[in-house]
Amino acid sequence: MSVLVIAEHDNSALRPATLNAVTAAAQLGGEVHVLVAGSGCGAAAGAAATVAGVAKVRTADAPHYKEQLAENLAALVVSLASGYSHILAPATTFGKNFLPRVAALLDVAQISDIVSVVSADTFVRPIYAGNAMATVQSKDAIKVITVRTTAFDAAAAGGGGGAVEAVGAAADAGVSKLLGQELTKSDRPELTAARIIVSGGRGMGSGENFKLLEALADKLGAAIGASRAAVDAGFVPNDYQVGQTGKIVAPELYIAVGISGAIQHLAGMKDSKVIVAINKDMEAPIFQVADYGLVADLFQAVPELTAALDK
Amino acid sequence: MTTYIAPVRDMMFVLNELADLQEVGALPGCEEVNPELVESILDEAGKFASEIIAPLNASGDRQGSRLEKDGAVKSPEGFKQAYRKFVENGWGALSCPPEFGGQGLPQIVAKPVQEMWKAANLSFSLCPMLTQGAIEALVHHASPQLRETFLPKMVSGEWRGTMNLTEPQAGSDLAAVRSRAEPEGDHYRIYGMKIFITWGEQDLTGNIVHLVLARLPDAPEGVKGISLFVVPKFLVNPDGSLGRRNDLQCVSLEHKMGIHASPTAVMAYGDKEGAIGYLVGQPNRGLEYMFTMMNHARLAVGLEGLAISDRAYQQALNYAKERVQGRALTQPGAGRVTIIHHPDVRRMLMSMKSQVEAMRAVAYLTAGYMDQAARHPDKTERARYQGLVDFMTPVVKGWCTENSIEITSTGIQVHGGMGFIEETGACQHMRDARITTIYEGTTGIQANDLIGRKMARENGTTLKVLLEIMRADQAKVARVSDPDFNAIAASQNAGLDAVAECAEWVVKTYHQDPAQAAAVAVPFLMLIGTVCGGWQMGRAALVARERLAAQEGDESFHKAKIKTSRFYADHILPRAVAYRHAVVQGAEDALALEENQF
Amino acid sequence: MKVLVPVKRVVDYNVKVRVKADGTGVDIANVKMSMNPFDEIAVEEAMRLREAGTVTEIVAVSLGPTACQETLRTALAMGADRAILVETGVELQPLAVAKCLKALVARESPQLVILGKQAIDDDSNQTGQMLAALLGWPQGTFASKVKIAGGGAEVIREIDGGLETLSLQLPAIITTDLRLNEPRYVTLPNIMKAKKKPLDTVKPEDLGVDVTPRLATLKVEEPPKRKAGARVADVNELVQKLRNEAKVIS
Repeated sequence: MSVLVIAEHDNSALRPATLNAVTAAAQLGGEVHVLVAGSGCGAAAGAAATVAGVAKVRTADAPHYKEQLAENLAALVVSLASGYSHILAPATTFGKNFLPRVAALLDVAQISDIVSVVSADTFVRPIYAGNAMATVQSKDAIKVITVRTTAFDAAAAGGGGGAVEAVGAAADAGVSKLLGQELTKSDRPELTAARIIVSGGRGMGSGENFKLLEALADKLGAAIGASRAAVDAGFVPNDYQVGQTGKIVAPELYIAVGISGAIQHLAGMKDSKVIVAINKDMEAPIFQVADYGLVADLFQAVPELTAALDK
Repeated sequence: MTTYIAPVRDMMFVLNELADLQEVGALPGCEEVNPELVESILDEAGKFASEIIAPLNASGDRQGSRLEKDGAVKSPEGFKQAYRKFVENGWGALSCPPEFGGQGLPQIVAKPVQEMWKAANLSFSLCPMLTQGAIEALVHHASPQLRETFLPKMVSGEWRGTMNLTEPQAGSDLAAVRSRAEPEGDHYRIYGMKIFITWGEQDLTGNIVHLVLARLPDAPEGVKGISLFVVPKFLVNPDGSLGRRNDLQCVSLEHKMGIHASPTAVMAYGDKEGAIGYLVGQPNRGLEYMFTMMNHARLAVGLEGLAISDRAYQQALNYAKERVQGRALTQPGAGRVTIIHHPDVRRMLMSMKSQVEAMRAVAYLTAGYMDQAARHPDKTERARYQGLVDFMTPVVKGWCTENSIEITSTGIQVHGGMGFIEETGACQHMRDARITTIYEGTTGIQANDLIGRKMARENGTTLKVLLEIMRADQAKVARVSDPDFNAIAASQNAGLDAVAECAEWVVKTYHQDPAQAAAVAVPFLMLIGTVCGGWQMGRAALVARERLAAQEGDESFHKAKIKTSRFYADHILPRAVAYRHAVVQGAEDALALEENQF
Repeated sequence: MKVLVPVKRVVDYNVKVRVKADGTGVDIANVKMSMNPFDEIAVEEAMRLREAGTVTEIVAVSLGPTACQETLRTALAMGADRAILVETGVELQPLAVAKCLKALVARESPQLVILGKQAIDDDSNQTGQMLAALLGWPQGTFASKVKIAGGGAEVIREIDGGLETLSLQLPAIITTDLRLNEPRYVTLPNIMKAKKKPLDTVKPEDLGVDVTPRLATLKVEEPPKRKAGARVADVNELVQKLRNEAKVIS
């Protein structure tokens, strides 16, 4: 039996999430096939064929796949489903949107957002916003799965030599259409919505020195925050303040620079996924919550860090 | 800033198991009241308190209400919007009479909801609370025309009410009120200065309905010469729309120790042509009318003591669970721990928790008595319950508020040095709590009321009834063979003996030498409160034991209830013995010195 | 237009759940339960459509044990007109829920079903899409704006990296994202009224649906604990750890 991965792509190239899904698929046993459904999607299909571990790319090229509408995509996948033991897609808004339709039409359960493959029918997935991990076993003939991309490494792109095979398009459902897209421009993000935050404390010494953090933040696409001490000292405006009386944040990465870690500050950021502390005082309480602590002079370490990100 | 989470589980436990919600639900007019409805009301009110009102507590404290140049008052940021939502969602009308648009819910439902507003934001809660008092005064005493004009909008919350009693020379002694009212056609012209007017001027509502105590020209001296007037900020046109501005003005706001967001106004009436006011009820009976609201208002302030204690407890508990400091005494090698691992922090938290739960039970029980007194179909029963309400009201007011000073202080202590820092938020609770033992009658006044009107005047009859009930419940605790229950029963017994002895002493002494009795009235009040708390905690433990035996409900909650009751019995209830000593031995000591010896 | 709004009873979002010691699940006994926050948004959206004159009737549906009545009462107190409980003690998975809802759609003939995009307990994010597939209806998932006009729905969806706008024929399925609206607080008069609104109960058997679970939960565990306070020697080690261990930067 083979495994089918539904590619996320923009017709000309694969989206990186597809590569993580391929890695998960490869752990299931059996040949990995990738479906590239789109319009004028030959380039994306070609790219998929070069991904390590992909035996075959099936491509459905028709105008009504251009917009990746869930109704059409699901119908196509269902028409190709027989012969596959597993159907996977990345757990992105793309995969989450259409794959449950596939499962329902096949009358099988979907296993959402898996973070590891235990065996061909058993998977681990987070529940309760990641506060618990459930190991679930599917009793269905076909396992329909979305894959948490951060839990699987990306398969190597390029170098592989899978075959490309065209498949017939399913009918256009014609019940929905895309009117437009508006993709976010990447200025510096909002503090509360940022994936990464670089925050400075009294150790920054002055408002001028926050430029060091700006350079780092620009490199990371991060927002800039501050401790109350830094705000009170007038280094930065009020709306930078992270903490009990400021903003409560929980980014994926929080880099605390020159922040000692007063309890009010910790209350505002302790739910961050990964916390980095850079402080020259090795006794600073911030190190108690930091995943990675660097005891160093920030005026050396921050520029060094900014530079190291280019490598 | 830690937020406030309404303790719905403990509230429902008290209502269902201790305060007889079921029985109140059987009273006329309360047919809809059942545990499911009450729980959904508490859930939704709790959500509103946590998400809308509580977040304005600290910012309101920092900003305070401010007097603008033109005599207008600017409330702290967010208050206006929050108040509008409060009104839109109908919370102000919860216990108001249905004929004026209220929901007519009983006190046993209203009090837990009020506790939430008060815990979430004491300053905010005072605005609807005083409106409530003004509504009651008008409902019971005003003419149909005044009621029609003012009540529907006050009930909806569109307008709000204030209580104008105090004057610079007339604080606790209202007999000294000098504001005057001169008849003019169908209304009066009011002249005078009122102070300490909570939310006396504000920007939350379109109109403010002031209830003002003043004297008519021919009024007798003293308390029998005071009348009650409605004096609206804006006069009301016959069609109900707002007319011209009345001649009254906020001339100053007090700078206070706490409740900064609640504007405490100095109000000037009749600086120009005289403020137009309308007489409520009969002339010269104003104080009497005020007294009819007194039980509600005093119980409400008692509830403030409970509420702010719970808020302080939640704050301290959250901190204790997060703050890492020191190592565990028993496992010094095991690394640094959160401070809740330290025995003394545990003790402080238990002291806060057990007292909060005891106060809640006693306060809600009294709310249930109020409903029985107001709605019971049998006249004798109504009178019996009214006796209990009259007796318990000064106790709840005095005891809960005095406790709140101790508990909010303990809350600061749990925080250590950070507790003394304003940003942590623990200080505000103590500053806010501090007024509660003072307004609506100081603890001394409550205690005098208790020993005089509620004890000596009826030779302690109500307390004897209460003692009998408490003795019977103590006997049930004593029958359980279990070390926790044995300890609770023993401590209860000592407390009840103390009450019995002091009750006799107070009644006897009051008749012989009231000054002696008054000198120890406060310890006596605290004795009653402390022992009532122990009584209710014992009942709670019995219920918890039954539930555990039947394997019903929340096991961990019920086990904790028994241990919390035990803590109260060992750490708090023994204070009864010390109060007894002060009462029966200490009166002369308090009065022993000449003035010049101080 | 009639709209159906399924609402799920879940552990309140403020509660930090604990995994049971025996690994069979999370401990939800005596834990505060509330309406799934995304479903509150769905009810609110239905209310707004009614206030705009588009919707005439809102039917709230919940599936599960008797206690789900509380969740339905909340929906009624928020403003739904009536409620249906599909009562069962069986653990319900999204496919079974979608099938029950399909049967209710056949009975009620709504033009629109608005669902939360996912429930905060199992985090599946499936039911709306599955229902759409079973009905053969178009879907607008993760909606941040909904406009009903000219016999169709225009839905702005939150997608990775931005927004997209879809036009859907009616009847259709919409699933809500967080930014669609801010649910109103329940008013006291509406809590009182909710007690008097109709709440019907049916069983999955009455709907002809087999709700047997398809996925077996073998065990539930705590997530790996946070590693506290590891020190890195220098910037290079930090960057290496962030890239390869934490995988938070590329």
